[in-house]
Amino acid sequence: MSQAQTSAGHADKADIFCKDEARVDWHSKALWLLRQKRDRAAAAVPEWEELRTLGSEIKLHTLTHLPQYLEQFEANCQKNGIIVHWAKDGDEHNRIVHEILSQHQVKKLVKSKSMLTEECHLNPYLESKGIEVIDTDLGERIIQLNKQPPSHIVVPAIHLKKEEVGQLFHEKIGTEAGASDPTYLTRAARAHLREQFLTADAGMTGVNMGIAEEGAIVVCTNEGNADMGCNLPKLTLHSMGIDKLIPNKAAASVLLRTLARNAIGQLITTYSSFYHGPKPGGEMHIIIVDNGRSEMLQDKLLAESLKCIRCGGCMNTCPVYRRSGGYSYNYFIPGPIGIAVGSKHDDTNTIPWACTLCGSCTYVCPTKVPLHNIIAYQRRLKAEAGKLPYGKAGYMPMVGKVMSSPTLLNCAMSVARFSLRYLPGSLLKPFAGAWGKYRELPKAPASSFEAWYKKNRSK
Amino acid sequence: MSSKAEMLAALKSVALPEHPMPAIEIAPRLDDLIGQYEASLKACGGTLIKDNAMEALQSQVASLVAEGKQVISRVDAVAGNREVPSDPHALKDINYAVISGQLGVAENGSIWVTEDLAGIRIAPFICENLMLVLKAEDVVANMHQALAKISLDNTGFGVFIAGPSKTADIEQALVIGAHGACTLNVYLI
Repeated sequence: MSQAQTSAGHADKADIFCKDEARVDWHSKALWLLRQKRDRAAAAVPEWEELRTLGSEIKLHTLTHLPQYLEQFEANCQKNGIIVHWAKDGDEHNRIVHEILSQHQVKKLVKSKSMLTEECHLNPYLESKGIEVIDTDLGERIIQLNKQPPSHIVVPAIHLKKEEVGQLFHEKIGTEAGASDPTYLTRAARAHLREQFLTADAGMTGVNMGIAEEGAIVVCTNEGNADMGCNLPKLTLHSMGIDKLIPNKAAASVLLRTLARNAIGQLITTYSSFYHGPKPGGEMHIIIVDNGRSEMLQDKLLAESLKCIRCGGCMNTCPVYRRSGGYSYNYFIPGPIGIAVGSKHDDTNTIPWACTLCGSCTYVCPTKVPLHNIIAYQRRLKAEAGKLPYGKAGYMPMVGKVMSSPTLLNCAMSVARFSLRYLPGSLLKPFAGAWGKYRELPKAPASSFEAWYKKNRSK
Repeated sequence: MSSKAEMLAALKSVALPEHPMPAIEIAPRLDDLIGQYEASLKACGGTLIKDNAMEALQSQVASLVAEGKQVISRVDAVAGNREVPSDPHALKDINYAVISGQLGVAENGSIWVTEDLAGIRIAPFICENLMLVLKAEDVVANMHQALAKISLDNTGFGVFIAGPSKTADIEQALVIGAHGACTLNVYLI
């Protein structure tokens, strides 16, 4: 998706989403509900802030000792009978996956939610090789049937209403026409997907944590789809970004306490599964993926975005995400963390501006990723690369010149005060651009701040 | 150079200053562990049976078997009517699975179940209904205590199970019973 839909910037795509005002309200409220649940769950844990600090420190420690932990992880995995692969980038990851699948003549793969395989565009790649890929998380399956990418990393079909899911299921899996009851639809999906689990040749998951000291991976789901997918077929594959590594079980205990609470206010996910060896007679592969992460680690601030444990809490709280929808970001991960890790890939150069810098994302992050600082920094990186979005590139340098010269600024401000006082709004509004679209023009103050300060505060 | 060597070389330099591993010292909440556990399990959608739990389980399973339900039991004192197969697909029609949990976690209601205890990895997921047996003395306060107690050495798979499987992917409406078990009863002995 990040490759195909790059013609329109964030604001243009948000405009499309905002056309349906009732849906925007509904979307915003649905996500705010998750934020409220998160707040209640966090408040119920007295040591919550301590857990956030520990989460951040554990991740910083691992990120600054990655080579040693990756080698330890690999050695322990191999000791447990797991086959480990290394992939520099998405292409190599996909090739490795395809090689393993074709060696086993896999025709059907059941996959549990994995943002890394989205990042690598694995599904279309495998489909082009004639392998059927079934996403098995209910939300993922819905959007897969709807031929859409996820619009949220935890609740991928949050943008769809139950009537729309009902219609889709009616067309694709034969539910009754007009039926939209979530329990009925979920049960229908259960039956439909159970057939897929039982007939799949291989299962694949992402990884929530890789534990170096144990040679184990942790996979968290509420539905049990990862476990149905992995524990039926003989062959299982797991894709893991290098940022998912942690040193030991003690570290896992910290992150398992915050992940689900911060995501949706749940005490823990229904299933927190530790895979640390193939099943008897089975085969287990882990693919360790870099794909740009080591490059991010070369930048002090961008490196901190790799502390993220993908709980989605920053999206649920973000006032911009809630009102612009996941598809307005030109990256497969939307919201604050999507801007932090995806700005480089956004060729409209607009997503760093899909943010009010309110800092709410940073405030809720369970591993203290300084999201709003990274987003402000992404703006700087775009400016330094000469890649300001259309419009900004023209006027921002002028704004800079005016603001850095007291004479020019005073002059401009007195013209503005005069105009606001004496000229009609209809004449001035167009000068306010997009800002003025949903706002009234301000009342002009009696004097400049400088004059006021001189009179009242100087000496 | 292999991809592994390239990746490790690229990771030799990191802009962040080296950071020590923090000490994780969180005091567990030890008051009324069973009460905490029961409340957490309820919040996860599970049910705790604590009065004469083993007898309750045995008579429940006996009547299920009499009804012709397909029951697999991994608990010695409980007699099911199906064996653990070597092919996990053979369990596709299982109505009930009875399995022992190794420990329970008061703060979140979860129970640690291993491949050994389940007999076959798929058992706690593919059954329509899951019955877990837990010893009262095996309830710990929090995840820090739980993970310190479990060992990943002798079995290739283990899972913390907190309640029946669930989803809220359609308009955030909570639906119990996604792909895994639709009910979870915990028998505390």
